[in-house]
Amino acid sequence: MVSENLLNIVMLVEIGLLLLGVGFFFAHGLWLYVSNRRLLRLSKSARESVARLITSGYVNVEEIQALRLLPDNVQVIAFLEISRNLSGSQKERLGFVAQQVGVVDRARKLCESKRWTHRLRGTRILSRLDVPDPMVHKMLADPHPAVRAQAAEWAAAQPSVPVISAMLTLLADPATQARFAVQNALLRMGGVVAGPLSTFLENHSGRAAEAGLRVAESLAEPSFGPAALRHSRAEDVGVRVAAANLLGAVADAPAAERLMELLGDDESRVRAAAAHGLGRMQHWQAGSLLAERLRDSAWRVRRAAGLALRSIGAPGALFLRRALKGDDRFAADMAQQVLDLPEAAAG
Amino acid sequence: MSTMFPAIVNQILVKGEFVVLLYFLFVNGWYLILLVSSLLELRRHMLLITDESRHLLLSSTLSPTISILAPAFNEEATIETSLRALLALQYPSLEVIVISDGSKDRTVQTLIEKFDLVPVKTIYEQRIRTKPVRGLYRSSTYSGLVVVDKENGGKADALNVGLSFARGELVCAMDADTLIEADGLQRMVRPFLYATDVVATGGTIRVVNGSEVKLGRVFRTAVPTNMLAGVQVVEYLRAFLFGRLGWNRLGGNIIISGAFGLFQREAVVNAGGYLHDTVGEDMELVLRLKRLSYENGGPGRIAFVPDPVAWTEVPETAKVLGRQRDRWHRGLADVLWRHRGMMFNPRYGITGLFVFPYYVFVELLSPMIEAVGLVSLTLGLVFGVVDWKFAALFYLTAYGLGTALTACTLILEDLSFHRYETFRDRALLFWWALVENLGYRQVTVYWRLRGLWKFLRGRKDWGTMERKGFRPVTAT
Repeated sequence: MVSENLLNIVMLVEIGLLLLGVGFFFAHGLWLYVSNRRLLRLSKSARESVARLITSGYVNVEEIQALRLLPDNVQVIAFLEISRNLSGSQKERLGFVAQQVGVVDRARKLCESKRWTHRLRGTRILSRLDVPDPMVHKMLADPHPAVRAQAAEWAAAQPSVPVISAMLTLLADPATQARFAVQNALLRMGGVVAGPLSTFLENHSGRAAEAGLRVAESLAEPSFGPAALRHSRAEDVGVRVAAANLLGAVADAPAAERLMELLGDDESRVRAAAAHGLGRMQHWQAGSLLAERLRDSAWRVRRAAGLALRSIGAPGALFLRRALKGDDRFAADMAQQVLDLPEAAAG
Repeated sequence: MSTMFPAIVNQILVKGEFVVLLYFLFVNGWYLILLVSSLLELRRHMLLITDESRHLLLSSTLSPTISILAPAFNEEATIETSLRALLALQYPSLEVIVISDGSKDRTVQTLIEKFDLVPVKTIYEQRIRTKPVRGLYRSSTYSGLVVVDKENGGKADALNVGLSFARGELVCAMDADTLIEADGLQRMVRPFLYATDVVATGGTIRVVNGSEVKLGRVFRTAVPTNMLAGVQVVEYLRAFLFGRLGWNRLGGNIIISGAFGLFQREAVVNAGGYLHDTVGEDMELVLRLKRLSYENGGPGRIAFVPDPVAWTEVPETAKVLGRQRDRWHRGLADVLWRHRGMMFNPRYGITGLFVFPYYVFVELLSPMIEAVGLVSLTLGLVFGVVDWKFAALFYLTAYGLGTALTACTLILEDLSFHRYETFRDRALLFWWALVENLGYRQVTVYWRLRGLWKFLRGRKDWGTMERKGFRPVTAT
């Protein structure tokens, strides 16, 4: 029989744990209620102060002093909340005020911490304030991917040559999180990255090139043409697909010619991307080749070819109608489905 | 004879107690590990998401395309609101595929009328064998909306049809009555952006009963006053914030709720899609994906996002709840039996050596052990082998730990998302956590045993789920 004393001890421990848990649960609830009310009150006044400091054309020392006296988290909340709605000179002014209040210095210190969570917090504050701080530039090389990703977010608003160069290096980042953030940031930088990205694409291959090609596709600058042509001959299927997509976005004569060649690629993903690209550039001269692809053995290629023919307009529609009466049942079915699609769904 | 019988019971009880105690040690050891693990994971997660800018995903052309697969069976009354809520989800590249699974009411007609649907030729790439498709519709207004009308074949079949029509890199499987948070997909997609080896993600599902719902969104959160629904709020919190989050850190997640999960489409299609002949099709798919990743390589990580991303309505009557739990346990038994080759098999890494045995010994067999403990204690009392004081102590010891654990889960929720803010909600949550052990848990043991028994007899029926409907927003 299990000792009654042992059970008594176990039960007492459990009751203690339970009481402790329940006490904590309710006490935490009360604390949340009180602190939230306090936080709301303080952050409201902090927001008002920050807004006044930004809109007024001078430095109000007393107001800055008053902000300094508020708890750190209240200051950060107020600055970050307002930062979402500002851009340009007002954002610069916000950064200046944050510097005066001490928010920037504290964030900088956090960036120097040994703990990645602190560095992430520091980088996040600086990036949300768009402060052009060399410290955040350094964080692009941080050992933790979350910090690098956050620094990349900051970089989107700092399109200088060294920042772009560091960002392009990160396109080869082994961590997906950082790579995605870098791609996103490069896109947000816009046309300014076109030149350096073209050079990057000329000199890189593999995963880095694929990541770069995806950015280039969204930017769709004609200067990416030569790089896209080169990568469309890569061994890696992913790279060839990305290159075909880019060629469709570049949409010049050599791109169209190469895309028509890629319609005969061994890999169905590449053939589908080529068909999609030709449809995107509305290259009606490719109509007959695309009509041939309606007979492709791969569903995705038939579908991409059908949609491309529809995008081309009248000549494409002619090919689709011809396919309806052809001897290939698969081509006829796909042509029928594409022709049936309502305008909204055919894009 | 009259003195021999209590002596035999006494002997069984003494030996049984030893086994039950060992079992308790084993289970509680695991629970402790999971608790610490979930605490660490939640802390890490909260640090990662505090002040993050998810809106950047919204404007990015690089975000992966998601196809939502929404099976519907006789949903005429609610389909318009549910679909409008889905189409309004905050995600940049979204496709919504509604699969009417042989609805006998006006579900399809309602969709045609309300969403400007036009019929298109029913051609699709059938990579998974399914029941025939009767009609395919595209919307003239919503470019990303596809409606498929098919013959009835069950939820798994409907999802498989949806997989054939989906174009997204990721597919989101959900129940027709699941309410997704407006930014739920942005939260769920994170693990796919953070790592290349993720094959599926699941999020925290919350109980919607008691909360106010407006236009397919939860407007005001509240803990239900109905006992069964209230206890399930506590159960759901424990299952998601404690169990799945804990396993997430240890790399041993094998469950994604059928109510809302995000998968890599190619991986699911290559794996053969959902199985038809099981009542645990969601767990079966996840375990199969995991197993295939060990056997053939490729992505196999199942990630769990602790953010509350979706809401579901739970049964409020014992009859319906009993059917649900019976089915869940049958499903668990069926899935574990199908993949029994993984048990203690080092080829399947942590899943084979730890996770699978955990699900067998802790999740599957616990109702049996619990029933043995309860029955022997009752017999002991009847035959006077055990005195009332000892029985009460044993009961409190066994269930007290569960309550302490639940209290820890409530703390985890409070430290992280604290969706239940009012004192009333807190008091109710705590009350349901206490009440859970006074009868409810013992009844679920019976339902789960019934499920096991039905599994052994080869029963694979679903039973019907009656829904009360969401509570609309009241004027304030």
